[in-house]
Amino acid sequence: MIAAVWLRAPARARLHALRELYRRFFGENTPDARGRRLLAEWLSPAQRAQFEQHRYFDVVGCDTGKTYRVHYGTAANVHEIDDEGRATMGWCFVPSGFLVPGDVMLAQKIALETDENAAIALANRFPPATHSEHFYRRPF
Amino acid sequence: MATQIVMDQTGDTRHEFDPGNAEALARAEQRFRELTGAGFTAAYRTGPGEVTRIKSFDPTAHETLFYPRLVGG
Repeated sequence: MIAAVWLRAPARARLHALRELYRRFFGENTPDARGRRLLAEWLSPAQRAQFEQHRYFDVVGCDTGKTYRVHYGTAANVHEIDDEGRATMGWCFVPSGFLVPGDVMLAQKIALETDENAAIALANRFPPATHSEHFYRRPF
Repeated sequence: MATQIVMDQTGDTRHEFDPGNAEALARAEQRFRELTGAGFTAAYRTGPGEVTRIKSFDPTAHETLFYPRLVGG
């Protein structure tokens, strides 16, 4: 039945279907997609919802109780924010090696939630105005 | 089955092992020691979105995540 429908489909439609299949299969197995999947598995439900809507999620530091906003990216993507959600300081710290954004963000979440002072001690500070929301590219 | 997830340039590499198998458990413990010795941080989930760092191998951990040493960017 499927084969009959497939054979009757115009060549262009078949090609489109093949392309779509290829895109979905390989797209979901890219390092980037794997990193996003791992991140989603380890975020809290609230963080996951926030990330899906805004491309960032908030983390509360375990030592100071400060709130940090982790944006999609691999560098200069963590902002300390105030009660109004305004960025007051940027903190740049990343896992060594060239990891995909999802992995970098997950490492940053774990570091801030379990060993905030150590993470901040090695981080480089940057003024939050350096980057606007448009700096962080759309991930997917 | 338990899993050790190691972040790397492919996204991650997963090592599954049977905690009931003494040989597999020993290999997992050895991997834990090698990774943490090389500067990786190990953590596991204690609830939805809740994470705990561990410094020694926990044979009861269902899923352990390793990420490389953090550096200032």
